[in-house]
Amino acid sequence: MTCSSRLTRRRLLGLGLGGGSSLVLGGCALNGFSTAVGQASEPLNERVEALLQGRGPVPEFRRDQVDPAALLVNSINGTPEIDPGRYRLAVEGLVRRPLQLELAALAALPQHEIVIRHVCVEGWSAIVAWSGVRLADVLTLAGPSPLGSYVYIRSADGYLESWDRASALHPQTLLATHLNGAPLPAAHGAPVRLASPIKLGYKLSKWVTGLQVVASLGERRGTWEDQGYEWFAGL
Amino acid sequence: MRAAPDATASPATTASVTPIRFGPLWTRAFHGFNLLVLLVMAASGLQIYNANPVFGGRGGATVPQLFTLGGWLAGGRDWHFGFMGPYALNLGVWIALLFLQRRRRLAVGGDLTTLRASLNPAKRRLSAHRLIYSLMLVLLGFSLISGLALYKPAQFWWLVALFSVGETFGSTSWQTLRICHLATIPAIALLLVGHVLLAWRIGGLRLLRAMVA
Repeated sequence: MTCSSRLTRRRLLGLGLGGGSSLVLGGCALNGFSTAVGQASEPLNERVEALLQGRGPVPEFRRDQVDPAALLVNSINGTPEIDPGRYRLAVEGLVRRPLQLELAALAALPQHEIVIRHVCVEGWSAIVAWSGVRLADVLTLAGPSPLGSYVYIRSADGYLESWDRASALHPQTLLATHLNGAPLPAAHGAPVRLASPIKLGYKLSKWVTGLQVVASLGERRGTWEDQGYEWFAGL
Repeated sequence: MRAAPDATASPATTASVTPIRFGPLWTRAFHGFNLLVLLVMAASGLQIYNANPVFGGRGGATVPQLFTLGGWLAGGRDWHFGFMGPYALNLGVWIALLFLQRRRRLAVGGDLTTLRASLNPAKRRLSAHRLIYSLMLVLLGFSLISGLALYKPAQFWWLVALFSVGETFGSTSWQTLRICHLATIPAIALLLVGHVLLAWRIGGLRLLRAMVA
C-alpha cells in the first residue's frame, strides 16, 4: 500500500462525496442525463420484462376486491364524443382481411372478463373488472401476417400507442367495452378501450378506433413514449 | 480531535503515528459505490413520489425539487430503473462476500444480550454498532424486494400479496407496499447516522476513512 495509491483513493473519495453532494444540492444539472441513463438500461430491463411475461397468465382478483373509486381518470385532451351507432373499429396494415368492425360485431365475439390491478405510471393502482373481447380474437379475425411484430393503436382523441405482438396477443389483453359489469363510461374510454394486467396504464388506450399491424415501428412510438416514457412498460 | 477517539480504541492502534489500516478494497468499494447509488435512488424515488404522493394522492404535498432527480416523472424513472441493477448487484455481491469472509462481524443474538445485560460501555457500543450495520443490510435488501414488487406487480403478485397484512389497518396492499418502500429512505438515513456516529466513537475519522477511502 504505497503513499501515492492512498492519495488517489482519497481523491476518489473526494470526487465521490463532491458528486454526491452536488446530486442533492443541484440535481437539476444531472436531469439532462436522464434520457441517456434510461437508454443505457432500458434494453436489458425490457428483455427481462418480456421474459417474465412469457410465464403465462397473471392471477386475477375476486370480484368483491374491486374498488371502483380507486380508478382515476387521465386524458391528454378531454373526453371525445363518439356516436356508438357510427363507431367503427378499423383493423388494417399487415393483415389478410382489413376490417371495419361495428360494436355489434365486437359483441358477437366471445366475451371475457378480467379482474386485475390497473397500475398507473404515476404510482396509484386500482383493482378493476374489465370485460370485452380479446385483442387476439380481433386481430386473428383480420389474419395478421407473421411479419407483423407490432400493433399501432389509434384513438379518437389523437392518442397513439404501439405494442409488441406477444403482449397484444396475450389472452388477458382485452378490447374492453364494460367496466365493473356496466357499459364503459365515456371518461374511461367508451365505447372501446384497451385493458390488460401486463402493461402500465398509459399503454391502455381509451377511445380506440384503429389497429394497425406493422413489421417495425416508425419514428413515432406513442404519445407519451415520444416524450420520454419507457416503451415496453411491462408489469 | 483525532487523539480522543484513538484513546478509546484497542491498545494495538493507540500509537497516533500508526498508519491507517484500510479495510479490504472490496469493503471500501462497496461503501463508496453504495453511498452514491443510494443518493441517486432516493432522489429519483422522490421524483417518482411527486407524480402521485403516497400521502394525499393527487392533492398531496410534493417533495421540493431540490431533493429530486430526473426533472419529471419519466426522468426520475430513468434514473431509478437505471441504477436499480447496479445497486442490486453491488448489494448482492457485498452480502455474499460478507457471509463468506466476515461472517463473525455480523450481528448475532448475543449482541442483543450484551445490550441488555453488559455494563461495559465499549462492549455495548460494539454490539449496538454490529446490530445497526447488520440491520442496514437487511433494510437495503428490503428496499430492493419492495421495489421489485412495485416495479413488476403482475409478475411478482405474490410479493405484493405479502403486503396485504396492511388490510388489517384499513390500507390496501398496494398502499402498504408504497409506504414501506418509501419508509426505507428515512429508515436508512437514521441507521446511517447511527452507523457514522458509532464508527466515529469507536475509531474516529481514521476509521471512517479506512471504511471508504
